[in-house]
Amino acid sequence: MIFLRRQLPLLITLVAGLLFAAQYYVPHPASEQMLTSATKWLQIIGGFALVLGVTSLFHLHAVKIRRQEAGWGYSLVLYAGMLGTIAVGLWADGKESIEGVMTSFGWVYNYMMVPLQGTMFAILAFFIASAAYRSFRARSREAAVLLVAAVIVMMGRVPLGEYLVPLSGDVASWILNVLNASVRRAILIGVSLGAIALSFKIIFGVERSYLGGGKE
Amino acid sequence: MTFPERMLKIDRRIIFLVIGLCTLLPLLYPVGLPIKISSEVRGVYDHIESLPEQSVFLLSIDFDPASKPELYPQAIALLRHAFRKNLRVITMTLWVSGTGMADQIVTQVAKEMSKEYGTDYAFLGWSPGGQAVIINMGQDLYSAFPSDYGGRPTKELAVLNGVRNLKDVGYMVDLGAGKPGVEEWYVFGKDKYKFELGGGCTGVMAPGLYPLLRSGQINGLIGGLRGAAEYEILIDQKGQAVAGMDAQSATHIAIIVLVIICNVFYLSLRRAARAQGQAG
Repeated sequence: MIFLRRQLPLLITLVAGLLFAAQYYVPHPASEQMLTSATKWLQIIGGFALVLGVTSLFHLHAVKIRRQEAGWGYSLVLYAGMLGTIAVGLWADGKESIEGVMTSFGWVYNYMMVPLQGTMFAILAFFIASAAYRSFRARSREAAVLLVAAVIVMMGRVPLGEYLVPLSGDVASWILNVLNASVRRAILIGVSLGAIALSFKIIFGVERSYLGGGKE
Repeated sequence: MTFPERMLKIDRRIIFLVIGLCTLLPLLYPVGLPIKISSEVRGVYDHIESLPEQSVFLLSIDFDPASKPELYPQAIALLRHAFRKNLRVITMTLWVSGTGMADQIVTQVAKEMSKEYGTDYAFLGWSPGGQAVIINMGQDLYSAFPSDYGGRPTKELAVLNGVRNLKDVGYMVDLGAGKPGVEEWYVFGKDKYKFELGGGCTGVMAPGLYPLLRSGQINGLIGGLRGAAEYEILIDQKGQAVAGMDAQSATHIAIIVLVIICNVFYLSLRRAARAQGQAG
C-alpha cells in the first residue's frame, strides 16, 4: 500500500516532470505527438475538475443548510440559482440563443448574470474612492512617493488630467514604461526562479505536500 | 472634535454621492475632451493594418461580464477593424462564464459588417483546460476544438482553410481579465509556436503587463477603457469607450481631489499634534 500511496505518485511525478521538461527542447514528431496527446488528456481532466468543483460547492452548502449555520439562507439561494440555471441550461442545450432567438438559458445569462456581475464590479469604484480618502495618506517618505506617483498616473491616464496638466500624460507613461516595468520585471524574475526551484523540489520528491499529510 | 478631524471621518456616503455624480453627469452631458493615442495601443492597430487581406486573425475573448465595461468596447473595436481589413477572423474564449457574451459580441459585429459565418469568421466557443487548450491549439487546432460553438465540425469551416495550428495564425490578440489571459498566451502559446501576439486587459491589470510589452513579448497593449477609447479613435468609429472617458476623467479627478483634501487635513492634524507635544 505504501508503494501505491507514496512511491508510485513520486515516480510518476519524476518521470512526467523530466519527460515534459525535456520535451520542450526536442522538436521530433514523436515528441510533438506525445505533447498533443498529453494536452488532450489535460483538457479532459480539466472538464472533470469542473464537475469536481461544482460537486464540492453543492456539498459545502448542503452541510450549511442541514446544520442551519449562520447565513444558511444564502446557501439556499445558491442552491436555487445553481439548480435553476442547470435545469434551463440543459433545457436549452447549453445555448444562449438558437438561430438568433434567445433561449431561457440566454435570458438567465443576459438578464441575471451579466447585470449582477457588472454591478459587483461597478460598486468597486465607490469603495476604492472611499478607501483612498481614508487610507491614502503621506505617513512616511515612502508613502508620499507612492502618493505622488499614483496622482500623476491617475492624471495622465485620463483626458481631463492631460488637459489640466499637459505634461502628466508623458510623465505617467514614463512611470509605467520605465519604473513600473523594471520593478515588475525584477519581481517576475524572482517569482520565476522560485517556481523553477519549487518544480525541481517536486520533481525530485523533496516537496511532497501535494501527496497529502504534509512533509514526512 | 476639530474641523480637520471631522473631515477625516467624513460619512462615506458623501464620497459615494460625489463619485456617483462624477459618473452620471458626464454621461448625461458629455464634454468630449481630446484623447491622445499611446504607442502601446498603436502597436496593435499598426500590426492589424499591416496584415494583408485574408490573413488569419485570432481573437481570444477571455473575460466574463464583470469586466464587460472595459473589455467589451475593446473587442468591438478590434473586430470592426479586423472585418474592415477583410481578415479571416477566428474567435474563442478560455472563460466559460464569458462564452455567451463572446458569442453575442462576435455575432453583433459580424452582422453590422455584413460578414458571413464560416467563410469570413468563426466562433469556436469554450474548451476546458485553460493553458492546456493553448498548447493543444499550438499542436493541433482541430484537436482542441473539434467543433465550433454551434456544433459544426471545425474542419468543414472555410475560414480555417490552411490553418493547422497556432503557427498558421497571422496575428493573435488576447483580451484577458485574469488567468488564463495575456501572460498564459505568451508563455504557453507565442513562446513555443512563434506567432505575433498583442494584448488587451482591464486598467488595473495593465501595469503588470508592461514588462512583456517592453521586451517585445507582446507587440501592443490596450489597457482598460482608455485603451479602448484610443482604439475607437484610431479606427474612426467612436463608441462606448469614448463616451465613457469623460466619466472616467471626472471620477479620477474627484479621487485625486479627495486624496489631496484628506492629506491636507492629515498633515495639519499632525503638525498641530507636534506643536502641542513641543509646548507640553
